[in-house]
Amino acid sequence: MSYLLLTLLLLPLAGSALVFAWKNPASKYLALGIAFAEMFLTFFMLSSLDFKPTVDGVLQYEINYPWSNFIKSNLHFGIDGMSMLMLLLTNILSVLIILSSFNEKPSYRNTFYGLILLMQFGLVGVFTALDGLLFYIFWEVTLIPIWLIAGIWGQENKKIQFTTRFFVYTFVGSLFMLIGLIYVYTHSASFALTDLYNADLNASEQTVIFWFIFFAFAVKLPIFPFHSWQPDTYTYSPTQGSMLLSGIMLKMAVYGLLRYLLPITPDPILGISGQIVMVLAICGIVHGALIAIIQNNSKRLIAYSSLSHVGLMVAGIMASAILTMKGSLMIEGGEGALVQAFAHGINVVGLFYCADILYKRFKTRDIRQMGGLAKVAPKFAVLFMVILLGSVALPLTNGFVGEFILIKSIFDYNVLAAVVAGLTMIFSAVYLFRFYGKAMFGKGDERVLASVGDLTDVEFSVMASLVVFVILLGIFPQPIIEMVQSSLKFIFTSMVK
Amino acid sequence: MSVLIIIFLTAVVALFAGVFEQGKFSRYIGILGLIIAFYVSFMPEHAFFNQYKSMFEFGQNAALFTKISIVITLLIFFLGGFAFSNHRSHQSELYALMLFSLCGSIVMFGYQNLVTLFLGIEILSIPLYVLAGSNKTDLRSNEASIKYFLMGAFATGFLLFGIALVYGSSGSFDLYKIHEYGIAAPNNLMFTMGAVLILCALAFKTSMAPFHMWSPDVYQGSPSLITTFMMTVVKISAFYAFFRIMTIAFTGITGEWINIVGVMIIITLFLANAMGLAQSNAKRMLAYSSVSHVGYIALIFFGMNSLSAYNLAFYLFAYSLATVGVMMCLIWVEKLKRETSYNAFRGLGHTEPILAVTAAISLLSMAGIPLTAGFMGKFAIFAQAIEKTPFLVLIAVLGSAISIAYYLRLIMAMFFPKESSFKTSEKVTLTYNIVAVFVVIAIIALGIFPDLFAKQFGL
Repeated sequence: MSYLLLTLLLLPLAGSALVFAWKNPASKYLALGIAFAEMFLTFFMLSSLDFKPTVDGVLQYEINYPWSNFIKSNLHFGIDGMSMLMLLLTNILSVLIILSSFNEKPSYRNTFYGLILLMQFGLVGVFTALDGLLFYIFWEVTLIPIWLIAGIWGQENKKIQFTTRFFVYTFVGSLFMLIGLIYVYTHSASFALTDLYNADLNASEQTVIFWFIFFAFAVKLPIFPFHSWQPDTYTYSPTQGSMLLSGIMLKMAVYGLLRYLLPITPDPILGISGQIVMVLAICGIVHGALIAIIQNNSKRLIAYSSLSHVGLMVAGIMASAILTMKGSLMIEGGEGALVQAFAHGINVVGLFYCADILYKRFKTRDIRQMGGLAKVAPKFAVLFMVILLGSVALPLTNGFVGEFILIKSIFDYNVLAAVVAGLTMIFSAVYLFRFYGKAMFGKGDERVLASVGDLTDVEFSVMASLVVFVILLGIFPQPIIEMVQSSLKFIFTSMVK
Repeated sequence: MSVLIIIFLTAVVALFAGVFEQGKFSRYIGILGLIIAFYVSFMPEHAFFNQYKSMFEFGQNAALFTKISIVITLLIFFLGGFAFSNHRSHQSELYALMLFSLCGSIVMFGYQNLVTLFLGIEILSIPLYVLAGSNKTDLRSNEASIKYFLMGAFATGFLLFGIALVYGSSGSFDLYKIHEYGIAAPNNLMFTMGAVLILCALAFKTSMAPFHMWSPDVYQGSPSLITTFMMTVVKISAFYAFFRIMTIAFTGITGEWINIVGVMIIITLFLANAMGLAQSNAKRMLAYSSVSHVGYIALIFFGMNSLSAYNLAFYLFAYSLATVGVMMCLIWVEKLKRETSYNAFRGLGHTEPILAVTAAISLLSMAGIPLTAGFMGKFAIFAQAIEKTPFLVLIAVLGSAISIAYYLRLIMAMFFPKESSFKTSEKVTLTYNIVAVFVVIAIIALGIFPDLFAKQFGL
């Protein structure tokens, strides 16, 4: 039993209880302190983590504790390379997200920070669970706090409608996953991950379960026809809510796709189901990008760009999975998806923060009514540009590495698919530079520009930290790739059995 | 049976407290009696009661369900002081009648004979007809009472006719003799008819669609605490009686009735959830939600195994706790606002956070969100039924998907508005806060460690 991992799991929960209890404006500093402690703990665990062991062997940090006599499920948590990457993303971004809200006036109540920490608890649980039922439980636990954040602090006149749609949509998806997992459980020894991998299922059962479990991930990601909740939710949530949703929560589905869907139901991937997912993902890339080009609402534009980027990750994963099932082991798609998941997390949080900074200056989200900010806010202009370049996937930024590997893996599968998927790079340049041009250059309203200033200290520290990650990971992507390699190799080899 | 006697005597004492104009003590007498009964229910039965074994046996399952019912009744009694504060003159009758009704429940948990079943159902129901109408000056309460009585009488007719047919074909009232007959002669039409009629009567008592028509009106019209009692204790006893007769007496002809139950589940889940979605009154919404829960519970008949009775108890307990949690909040709002539409709950989270959080967690538990008892209950039932009927489980999941929409509306009304519509001068009583905290802790503890249930109730 690893007490370090136990601390990592329970620290946010205990922290959120404290923050809920302490009704004081200063409770936000407490929340920030807890998030910092969690981040340092993650770094500490990273420093001595061996990435070689996979979930079928003995992991370095592992908790395995019997839970119930009636359900064959254990409290089984552990960290391998892939989990570690996701934990890094979660715990780094949580600090920045909490910090980013410090400028808000009037400042948020203690419950806001309590809910963010509660969400962090759920996310850490999702990324460390090695048991199907625990994964589902934590998956749902993350939903309640984000729903409350979006609902209580979301845009007043829209919130009933969009939060209901968001909750019902994702809840339905999760319920289908639950049925899928229960069905697999009844055909295997227990809920333990490796037992689920070895479940005794025939091809038609696998196809149904594939779609049931995929539905949950497709809604959360979201994949093209299941995305109708996403633009409204991202647009009308408070900035921190959008950051949590797109920066971290979406990655749960990428992680789940690799960790659960592929190894549990490998057969349908070779059949028509795999092709359909591939086509949907590529449709999403083009659809999201095309709509983003004509968007004038800054947050909605970012929402559609996220749809487009996510499509690429799924397409890459599926391309490698299909090739692996055909006989040649390929893990590039998985690598690319995880690198891109990390990079996208950083970039999209940065973009939402930029949109928030612009909103504070111009009091509007309509990019046509902005302009000329580059003159009065040079620091912001530079930092915004770097984050933008990361999203566009310029070489030497973090976005490039992931997208390059992803497109390469799609290319190995099908040239035409790679050509269409590659459009994302061109389109993202179009809509993001349009966004930047309209917001930062041009004439702009002189009266507004006279009254606004450059970045405040809080804004600068958040933006600068994000920019450091954008550049650092663009130049040195190798550590991340090495981190996830053995986990992915295990996942892709256990598909073929 | 000693539990039954203790509760009966408590009820008599509570009733006579009213006769001597000491009605204000009835509640405390009731609470005391229930605590003693709860304690006694853990002890083995006295050998003296063995001679009644062919009529009534206080076996392991009966003890389990009795304990659940007593805990829930205790919670309801604690809520009584505030909820019945306008019934100054005749408090003792309310508590005494609830205890009499509980006696009926306990008879229904341990019956070995169809005659005892009939007696149990009547002992349970007749006090309820009175209780439903206990708000004399309210027209809706009177309506509820008369509706419940007429429909209940009709269902009793079904039950008796069914019992007569079963007796006529098998020649016995004894559950195990009927069981043997059903296995020996599975094709007797008269016997099957009897079984189906009994099924209909009990479906009425558990308010399973299409026999649920009475329940929204009755649940809405009755005083809220009585509604809570009907949604919880009455449902527990009716469903366990249903479960017991179907799985003991009629196992031989399972093929004949299981499909009827399946169709009823589908109707219940779709109809109740769709109607729940259409409501604008929280109390009526909860009535439909209570109907829909019978649909989930009835999945227990599919893929039965040795743990089924335990899973059933767990689900019913989780559901009852959640119901108490929500109804408690509703009683408070109803007292202040004199109505129970969603709008009446606006901003409750700002002024009464404990009560509102309890209601929210209870609603999430009803919807089956993980880390609550409701999730574990649903999980156990789905896991049991999925092997036999994946289709019905799918329907149940779609049902939960619809249900979450109307549960959310109430939570949204409590937490999302920026301002509270309640005056801060009116604070909820300490008893309510204690019960609220107990309900929340119980729901979450059972959601995290489902085995606690088995440990606490001595299984």
